[in-house]
Amino acid sequence: MKIIIVGAGEVGYNIASRLASESKRVVVIDKNPDAIRRLSERLDIQVITASGSNPKILIDAGIKETDILLAVTDSDETNLVACLITDLISPSTKKLVRIRNSDFDPYHDRFKKEKPHIDTIINPETEVVNTIKKLMEVPGAVDVGDFAGGQVKYVGIRLDSHSPMAGIKLIDFPAKFENNQPLIAAIIRNNEVIVPRGGNRLESGDLIYLVSEAEKLEKTLNLFGKKIQPIQRALIIGGGRIGERLAKLLEKDCIKTKIIESDIDRCHYLSEQMDKTIVLHGDGSDRKLFLEENVSQSDVIVSVTDDDETNILVSLLAKNLGVENTITRIGKSNYFPLLASIGIEKIVSPRLSAVSSILQAVRKGKVLSDISIFGERGEFIEAIALETSDITDKPLKKIAFPKGAILVGIIRDGLIMIPTGDSIVKPGDRIILFAVKQAVKKLEKLLTVKLDFF
Amino acid sequence: MRWQFIASIIGILLVFLGFSMIAPLLVSLHYHDLARNSFLQSMGITMVAGLILIILSKKRGSENYINQKEGMTTVALAWAAIGLFGALPFYLNPEFTSFTDAFFESVSGFTTTGSSVMTNIEGASKSLLFWRSFIQWLGGMGIIVLSLAILPFLGVGGIQLYKAEVPSPVPDKLTPRLSDSAKILWVLYAVFTLLEIIFLLGGGMPLFEATCHAFTTLPTGGFSPKNASIAHYNSAYFDYVIVLFMVIAGINFSLHYQMLRGKTLAFWEDTECRFFLGLTLVLTLVMTWDIYGTVYTSLKDAFRFASFQVVSIITTTGFATADYEKFPGLSQIILFVSMFIGASAGSTGGGMKCARIIAGYKYCYRELFKIVHPRSISHVKINNTVIPDEVLRSIMGFLALYMGIYILSSILLAGMGVDMMTAFGAVAACLGNIGPGFGTVGPADNFAHLPVMGKWLLAWCMLVGRLEIYTVIILFVPEFWKK
Repeated sequence: MKIIIVGAGEVGYNIASRLASESKRVVVIDKNPDAIRRLSERLDIQVITASGSNPKILIDAGIKETDILLAVTDSDETNLVACLITDLISPSTKKLVRIRNSDFDPYHDRFKKEKPHIDTIINPETEVVNTIKKLMEVPGAVDVGDFAGGQVKYVGIRLDSHSPMAGIKLIDFPAKFENNQPLIAAIIRNNEVIVPRGGNRLESGDLIYLVSEAEKLEKTLNLFGKKIQPIQRALIIGGGRIGERLAKLLEKDCIKTKIIESDIDRCHYLSEQMDKTIVLHGDGSDRKLFLEENVSQSDVIVSVTDDDETNILVSLLAKNLGVENTITRIGKSNYFPLLASIGIEKIVSPRLSAVSSILQAVRKGKVLSDISIFGERGEFIEAIALETSDITDKPLKKIAFPKGAILVGIIRDGLIMIPTGDSIVKPGDRIILFAVKQAVKKLEKLLTVKLDFF
Repeated sequence: MRWQFIASIIGILLVFLGFSMIAPLLVSLHYHDLARNSFLQSMGITMVAGLILIILSKKRGSENYINQKEGMTTVALAWAAIGLFGALPFYLNPEFTSFTDAFFESVSGFTTTGSSVMTNIEGASKSLLFWRSFIQWLGGMGIIVLSLAILPFLGVGGIQLYKAEVPSPVPDKLTPRLSDSAKILWVLYAVFTLLEIIFLLGGGMPLFEATCHAFTTLPTGGFSPKNASIAHYNSAYFDYVIVLFMVIAGINFSLHYQMLRGKTLAFWEDTECRFFLGLTLVLTLVMTWDIYGTVYTSLKDAFRFASFQVVSIITTTGFATADYEKFPGLSQIILFVSMFIGASAGSTGGGMKCARIIAGYKYCYRELFKIVHPRSISHVKINNTVIPDEVLRSIMGFLALYMGIYILSSILLAGMGVDMMTAFGAVAACLGNIGPGFGTVGPADNFAHLPVMGKWLLAWCMLVGRLEIYTVIILFVPEFWKK
């Protein structure tokens, strides 16, 4: 499989590194020689220093035999032109584009149906905003996401020492909860991702990933001693694109929102855009401003400035002032392991969101969604079981699952089932799988191997 | 300041004014009344004066651009000159004895105020009564252009917010915009007038009276050829027809235009219009409740008279169907406050205008908000558009100047021996271009008994109010004249 990536920025780099590690042929095109050098030094990929929207360059890069084009430069215009050229030269190539400017939003459908026939449009900011929104709704959760268009959700929660679940073996679950048994996809303990087996015991301090039907989520969380509370007052630190989108979204839901931004011109712009949101000018980590605005009364504090360190500081400050529900935007993935130890767990990352969306589209077979968790150390994959794949029509215990991968749930007729060794996946079922990073490639083979013959 | 340029514009306007006197002249010939000669003479004097001004200023600059200073001077002087020459038919007519009265009546007409010094209206010549209504109609035409094109262009009182949406693509030049928008809006204005005449005729009003009333409804003027105004007919049908057209006249004319272009929700989407209609309804209901049982025994009557008085005053028309001075205190206060609020910007109504009230309120709210959140950044928005701070300052300045002039003029008028209620009422009525006031100038009285100086003061107030304060007041600021 050959993939051309236009744009060697953060997203381009991360996608390239993921795909290269899965032994795909990757070509990266970027005008910036420094960015290109950084890539070529570290990754086993082909690089071209030129403009990715130039037709000659694209032909040289081999666009005609390329399966997927990823246009992820910082410029929406360059990305669109690259797609347009590709559509002309090589119509069969799948096109994935990052478009950030929300003014393009109403035209997404037409971009897909008409020229340049884009297959997937990715807007990391929108996705991050949606993730933040979901995280806000489940205060006890570290991570939240959807499967099957929202019918099924996964939630990451940290077990407190007083949680009723601490110390219970997974194998005892059926006896203890009967029909209501919670579905545990992964346990993260001491920065290690554990794919749970019956013999594993839950311990306090574990970060566990649960999968549940959306309606039963509240009940399931109650089992773990977590409650869902509606948000009434929110504080956003950082009025960039994410802050702005989030504030507008919250405004629609009649949540009282304040937004703190340090750039005065940006403040004026935000105030012009917003209707009810209170725009405050000041530094996000200014304790005095926090006290002045009675920040401790907020239900949630979201720090989404461009600066990771500021965001971390703000979240710490907020916790110090008594706001437990904080959401922090982090760009650098090497911070992830550190953050849990200082109590910052609700983390969002536009880059990670973009990477997940892109990976989902790159994966072969009928993959519906693909979500990276815990700093990309594990992946949830939601897929439709294909008739010709190895996974269908035999009991699970006879399937050679790669080490570090697990079938979490089977969704059939809108109901989620917990698989046992005797369960059989039927063609057309939606399946949710979890795999640690190393097992993803093998798992992908299992899902799709026979498809390639068609 | 290019005086020749200004003089030429005033000259052209005077020639037009002279021409327009043909209309009352025809009325005079039709009714064979006494005013024929006075119209002929006035026409001659006005046109000659206009031609002299045009000839004197023949070396008019080729440049068509008017700067803000010249624009303001032209507007103020033009209005004063028209008031002056428009007074001639009254003055030359034996029914009027003093020039003061003639000037007062004329300015009251052209500024669409509707305050009158005539004690026996029905006894006057028909053609003179027609002239009274006709100058209000002409004044209304002037105001539409003034308030939707000229004053916004000059940036007067922050009203540039409500610039007319004209089809002309040229945003910066006044002339193409002005002529295009003026034509469209005048057609609208004329069509509404015609509609009202038809409606009134349909109810059985004689053609002459229907025309006169329609001519004074659309410009929110309020002159009536009857001593008792609309109360003369005592007909619910006429009341409601006139209420309807007063409301139409009180709405921004560019909204009417948008509506005709297919934006059916234009009235609802516009904050000011929503405020104006909502406020009118609320005040009507409160007054209905107030006068039901105390003045009128049936709810239907209470609503009919309440709606008429509220609409008449808030749109600054000034027709009367009842002597509101006999209403309870609450109703009187409602009308008194309505005199200040006025109609929408871009309508023919006067007063402070709803747009400014809304902006003023939002500005004050923002100041209070700033105390609670000292570091907040917020903007005042109307119709989802941010209002720049300099426009807000201009609006706040307008509101303060309006009240300042109101208070000062009331004091001056009281100093001339007028009682307090009358002084307050008369100045409010003239500054807001309404017509009837309170005290001895209420809807059942007139302005004839006021002292001569008082009449000049009130005529000045009418001009100040009509020309949105700044345009006139600026001429009294020494800095304006420094080179």
